[in-house]
Amino acid sequence: MSTPATTSCNGVEVGVRTVLVVDDEPTARVALAARLKRLGYRVIEAGDGKAGLEALRRERPDLTILDWMMPEMDGPSFCEQVRRDPELLSSQVLMMTSHDQPEQIAEGLARGADDFLSKAASKYEIMARVQAGMRTATLIRRLEDVTEEIRRKQEVLERELQSAARYVESLLPVPGTLLPGVQMVHSYRPSLGLGGDLFNVVPWSEDVLGLYLLDASGHGVSSALRSASFSTFLRRDNLLHHVGSNDPGAILTEANKQFPLTEDGNYFTIIFARLDLRARTLAYATAGHNGAFLHRRSGEVCWLARPNLPLGFDQPTIYLTEELPVRSGDRLYLLSDGLYEVPASNGELWGEDRLKQTVHTFGHRPLAEVVSDTIAEAVRWQGHEHFPDDVALMGVEITI
Amino acid sequence: MSMQTKERPVPNGVILEMTGDLTYANREQFKTAVETIRQKGCRHLILNMAEVRFVDSSGLGLLALIAQNFKLSQGKVSMLKPQSYVREIMSLVNIQKLIPIYDNEQDALAGHQRAA
Repeated sequence: MSTPATTSCNGVEVGVRTVLVVDDEPTARVALAARLKRLGYRVIEAGDGKAGLEALRRERPDLTILDWMMPEMDGPSFCEQVRRDPELLSSQVLMMTSHDQPEQIAEGLARGADDFLSKAASKYEIMARVQAGMRTATLIRRLEDVTEEIRRKQEVLERELQSAARYVESLLPVPGTLLPGVQMVHSYRPSLGLGGDLFNVVPWSEDVLGLYLLDASGHGVSSALRSASFSTFLRRDNLLHHVGSNDPGAILTEANKQFPLTEDGNYFTIIFARLDLRARTLAYATAGHNGAFLHRRSGEVCWLARPNLPLGFDQPTIYLTEELPVRSGDRLYLLSDGLYEVPASNGELWGEDRLKQTVHTFGHRPLAEVVSDTIAEAVRWQGHEHFPDDVALMGVEITI
Repeated sequence: MSMQTKERPVPNGVILEMTGDLTYANREQFKTAVETIRQKGCRHLILNMAEVRFVDSSGLGLLALIAQNFKLSQGKVSMLKPQSYVREIMSLVNIQKLIPIYDNEQDALAGHQRAA
């Protein structure tokens, strides 16, 4: 107890501790200040509550010792002001009183004091109570510092997430004319700001293009990174080099070998389609993905899906290509299951059938309206804007 | 909902009784339970899914992962009595190709003998 004014905090010496003494009675105030100075503390004095609050704000002392009885602002009122002020509320306040009745102590504590000190207290009791107050003040300061550090780190992380999200969005295709006679519109609503769903267009030749929508299982940064890496694999040059063709089944069969399950059991599901305007065909293959349908000019809506293992589940799997004829006015929609697996407030999912019915009802209104209104319909079903999973919808229309 | 698992030895294998959801939140628990069984040299793991209400995409990946791991150690994984919703998820991704699905224990055990 030889140097109570400094304490060791994780081996780091903290400098001289400051105590603020607020008392309107000069003799008592000066006497207490002198005692504290002898104990090694730096002491600031204030002669009334108002000056005390100013000193508290200005000096941020480690501990405030406060007289209960003061004109204008008494001790409890001082405490109440401190606890209402976000900048001061964590201050340690020790209230001094000459009549320490239990009811009075209870009232003082209820109004914001941390501890009590009798005016008749011995030198040793004052020392012990001041030290106890200092211990608490140290812990609170440390907690505030750590909280501030966490907040700063969180901010850095969030900025990085936002920048990653902007990168993922920069990978998305530009809506508009993909080929003469092929229009595309899309909407993308990642659930966490950073999504594992990704879709794109692969221009192949003047009348052939690839279209895909993939979903990386898992959440957040790692699934977004894996999606971005997969989208690099699906570039035309890379497909020519590794697959040697634009056949959807051959592409998925090769991708299945290139992207095994991760050690956490994460994987991709995907639909890859090839639109050939000259042959007037739509060829596609799916791996664990059932997110595509064709809305015929005639009004018929048919899902392009067959039960199939996701990529990485079984290395020898061969993915097969299906082919359909297409005509002018037909529309192809690629979508993530997050669009129709949205629950209403009673838990009931919107479902594939309602989605199909919605698109059917919209008929051949302009493609951009169908895309945005379909998403609006899913939002209406769940009753709020925030989708629980990534939502992507890409509409492609053949206009010639 | 969390997941509880209980092992029950059967001739030539172990039945893992599962209760709860097979989801992202419960993956470590499930993985640990299964890995312990595999390391004891089990050749046939039968997952009793009768009390599993829900499997999410992460749970599905975990099923594929344990099927692969058992295959590497010359074992196999079967699935017993999935509820209709879970069965639907399984059939959408054709999981039967990796993990055969049975409606009763005798068939699951016999399936192993045929496979052996």
